[in-house]
Formats: sequence, C-alpha cells, structure tokens
Amino acid sequence: MKHYDMIIVGAGPAGLSAAIEAAKRGMKVVVYDENAKPGGQLFKQIHKFFGSREHYAKIRGFQIGEKLLAEASELGVEVVLDAIVIGIFPEKEVTVKIGEHVTHAKGDTILIATGASENMVTFPGWTLPGVIGAGAAQTMMNLHGVLPGHRVLMLGTGNVGLVVSFQLMQAGCEVVALADAAPRVGGYGVHASKVARCGVPFYLSHTIVSAEGEDHVTGVTIGQVDANWQIIEGSEKHFDVDTICLAVGLSPMSKLCDMAGCDMEDNPAKAGFVPVVDEYGETSVSGIYAAGDVSGIEEASSAMIEGRIAGIAAAVKLGYLSEAEGTAEIEKQKAALGGLRQGMFAPGMRGKQITETEEGIAISQNLLQYGFVSDEEVERFPGVTHSSGIHPVMECTQNIPCNPCQDACKNHCIKIGSHITSLPSVDPEAKCTGCGMCVAACSGQAIFLVREDCGDGTAEITLPYEFLPLPQKGEKGTALSRKGEAVCEAEVVGVRTAKVFDHTNLLTMKVPKEYAMKARFFRKGEPV
Amino acid sequence: MRIQEHPILGTYEKGKTVSFTFDGKQLEGCAGEPIAMALKNAGVMVHRYTKKEHKPRGIFCAIGRCTDCVMVVNGKPNVRTCITPLEAGMEVRTQYGVSAGKEGNAV
Repeated sequence: MKHYDMIIVGAGPAGLSAAIEAAKRGMKVVVYDENAKPGGQLFKQIHKFFGSREHYAKIRGFQIGEKLLAEASELGVEVVLDAIVIGIFPEKEVTVKIGEHVTHAKGDTILIATGASENMVTFPGWTLPGVIGAGAAQTMMNLHGVLPGHRVLMLGTGNVGLVVSFQLMQAGCEVVALADAAPRVGGYGVHASKVARCGVPFYLSHTIVSAEGEDHVTGVTIGQVDANWQIIEGSEKHFDVDTICLAVGLSPMSKLCDMAGCDMEDNPAKAGFVPVVDEYGETSVSGIYAAGDVSGIEEASSAMIEGRIAGIAAAVKLGYLSEAEGTAEIEKQKAALGGLRQGMFAPGMRGKQITETEEGIAISQNLLQYGFVSDEEVERFPGVTHSSGIHPVMECTQNIPCNPCQDACKNHCIKIGSHITSLPSVDPEAKCTGCGMCVAACSGQAIFLVREDCGDGTAEITLPYEFLPLPQKGEKGTALSRKGEAVCEAEVVGVRTAKVFDHTNLLTMKVPKEYAMKARFFRKGEPV
Repeated sequence: MRIQEHPILGTYEKGKTVSFTFDGKQLEGCAGEPIAMALKNAGVMVHRYTKKEHKPRGIFCAIGRCTDCVMVVNGKPNVRTCITPLEAGMEVRTQYGVSAGKEGNAV
C-alpha cells in the first residue's frame, strides 16, 4: 500500500493549492481526481477574476489553472487522473478506483476538496434534450469548442448564470433572456450589466412554466411568480429556443467527509450539507481537512486560499514547518481570505437585502430588477464624474472585493484605498491620459473612458469589447444603452488590442455628445 | 456546430478527424474529444430513450455525473458519452432502456 504525507481528493483550485503548499514544505503529496484532466472547473472559466493581486485578480480562470498546474508539477506533486476515491476508512486509508482497478493508499493527512455539483429544478419538459446545466454549456464551448445551442434561455441570475450568459454570447450563441424566480439579480451587478447592455432582457420573479418539444427543446415558456412562487395567470411569455440553460446554484459534494465520520451540518449559509471545520479547514477527525466548495459554496478565489491554509496547517501538524512559521503564513492567508469575504456578496450576507453601499449611497434598484443601472442612478456613484477632457467613468456600484483598477492607473486617477470593497472614485487632480489600462483591468467590464465633448458636437466612448468579429476603425454601427437598446448611430474611431489587455479589446466609438453618458455598447451592422 | 475562433480562447486544439458510426450512419469527429461532443456537433440531440416511458434523453451535465447521455458504444451499454473519448471506427448506438440487447440495442 502506498503511503503519503497528504492525500488530496480533487485537483481543482482548492486541492491544487493545498498540494503546492504542502509539497513546498517537503511533504509527499498525491492528488486524486476522477476527471481525465486536472484543474476542476478552472479551465472553463474564461473571465477575469475579481479580488486583488494576491487573489490572482484580473487573470482569467483557465490561466490561473495553468499556473497552479505548472507550480504543482515543478514541486513534484503526483496528480493521478481518472482516479475516483470510493472509500475512506479509519486510520486515513482510502480506496481509489483507477480504471478497472481498486487500490489502497494511506495518508498521514487527507484533504477532501471534492467541490460541488449543480442544483437542478424541475418543470414540465425538463428532461428534454436541450435542457442543460450551465456547467455543461461551459464545458462544451470553453473546453471542446462546440456550440451548446443557437438560441438560449438562461434560468438563474447568480454569478454562474450571468457569467455563462456572457460566455454563450462570446461563443456565438444568442441569449434570448435571463429568468430568475428571485425578485432580485443574485450575482454581481457588473456581470449583469455587461449582459444587459448587449440587449438581453432580464425577467426577475419569473420561472420556467414549461419546455416545449417532442424529441428536443424547440421553445420555452416563462411566467411571473407570485409571493407563493405560483405562476400568475396571463404573465406567460414564450421564446423560440433550442437550449435552456440551468444555473440555479451549487451544492457541496461532501459525501466523503460524511463517510470519514466528520461532524456534518446542514448550513444554509454554506449552501448545503457540509463538514464542520475549524479555521484551518480541519474537520472533527484529526488530520482530515476540507477546503473549497465542499465545505461551503464560494468563489474559486476563496477555494484556493482555503486550500493553501489546509496545506500549511497539515505541514505544521506533521512537523514539516514550525508552529511559529506556520502561524505566520496562515495569518497572511487568512488576511487574504478575509479580504475576499467582505462586501455585499460575502458568505454572511446571503439572503440579506441591502439598500445602501458602505459609502451610504442608495443601491441601484434598477440593477437588481433589470440587470442595469439607470441613467439617473448611475450619477450618484463616486466612479461617475464629469470633466472636460477624457476621463474614466467607473460604473461600479456595489461593494465587492476587487481593486485592479486602482493598480492599473499609472497616473493614480482611480482611488479605492486600503478597503478592498470600497467603490472606486476618481481623483479630480490626477490627469487621465486615456491609456485604457483601467478599462482592460476591470474584471467587471464596468469602466469606460469618456470624452464628453470633442468640440464638434460629438463625444467619444471607449469600452471593453470581447466579441468577434472585432469591429474596424471607420465602421458604422449602433450605440446601445445600458439596457441594450439602440440609442443612436455610432462610428468606430479606434480599436486597441494589446497583450497587456489580455483579449479585452478597447473599442472607441463616436456618438452625438448628448449620448456621452447613455451609450455603452457598440452593435455591428447597419445603423437603425 | 464548432466554434471556429473564440474571442478569448482563439482556436481550439483538437485531435485529427476520424470517422465513427451513429446508428449505422457514418459521422466524423475529432479523435480524443468526448463522443457526445462529436454527436452534438453533428446535430444529434437524442442519446437514449428511457426504459419505462420511452422518453428521450441527451447531454445534461457534460461532466460524467448525471448519466443522461449514456449510449451503446462498441456493443457496451451505459457508456457515458460525455467523458468517453472518441476513437476512429467506434460504433455508437442510441440506447433503448438500460441494456444493449442482442443486436447492440434492446428495444
């Protein structure tokens, strides 16, 4: 039987991060993963991550996956794929099914980092081919390059529903609408806004009445729900679609923890049945740790830090690291994790209705109901100012832990301060040169460069653009509002692409100056 | 349908084009990609029909968890096509119920 200092179940963000920390201290580590490829769901994440530099902010998920794999491999971490851990026994022995064979392995410590599975909802027709999980859509388009469908309805406005909707459009699908039974958008407002400005309508307090089709989906009907979640008669809306995507939450896959005899709890704040863990991720069974979504649904960014903490804690436990050194390192990680767990979307805020930002500004209600900030509301946020020259307009209206924009501006035009969830504000003294680094750095695609008056009755707006085909300089099209409605004719006067922008192109369009604060997206094709 | 060029990912690294059969009909896919992806690209939506009610099922989770996409592959039933790599010459059949039956299909 093989013997390891640490056995890790799951090669996702938490498992790989733990493996790196443990191996760095000289521990012999194995990572088992049931999939053919490591990285968990990271390789399907093509958006830029939030946070600060220490959280890999503004780096796309799949690139973080590549970094983690390279680091683990450099440190000699053994990653065994197509390996399903099917049993966990006393004295930290596990049985692993690799191909058709079952082998045993023993660890002095074990980390369970098995992640989560997607939740489902049922409705008439939900079993029809064409009804898929949002994760399935990501797998098809981002891993395998296959279009999940042509016309898609997304159910769920949490971050998964919002991010995947945007990704569907990037892949070339048409997203006809987002629906959510909840009365308010669940995910980051900036994710919602980048979908809404492309012209996708949001239907909150709506759910699916039925999916239509004989052998596969040909349409869907949604309807408004009342206070008891019943469909209000006459509120039904029909869409011709070939795909219905479900993004209705995740549940921890904690069965191995239960099997190992760890104390478990049903904790709504952690989105399900999870092991009880201490501040190091250690369960009630000494030497068995849990990290990542398995111990409570959060973002991949926090899973990575939880993994690091568990890896360091295990190194201390086995004597590979002195207690003093371990404590110091863990404190650093805990501070980073604390940074991510702040703001309006922190785990402790689940289910709470927020009316004001930390700065005391009324939250945009339009954003929560329709996915975009209204023209009137946007003016009250500190990132939105007016001046004669080119200047950044930061339509960042919710307190989320994220600050790459502050670091991006070499001229210090953008201020967030030391509190990572503060809304960005514009320093009126600093001079914007229009370099566009902030536009590309904003993971939420919420920063625009605006020259409100070019002196000839026009205004110029520079916006992040991540679609193909890329419009060309001189091309005429339509400017869309935050809601995604056509507002005026627009001409592309510049398209900037640079390695440092990492595939976020900066498109500058010229519009009549009265639309400087209204036009927020460019639609190709004949102006209407 | 395949995505030719992606704004973030560029082009995809795929295996060489190989032939396989779906219910006897010759189709093409990329070696090493999940069988389900080759079928999806070819426009195949129905992978199987359920045993009791004969209801169609297709791809649902695409990561090997839900088993909705199982088919008869090379005579073996209940193969999760979303995580089984495509090989040249594979015989893929719509599954009826839960077993392959004598002809590779049980109706």
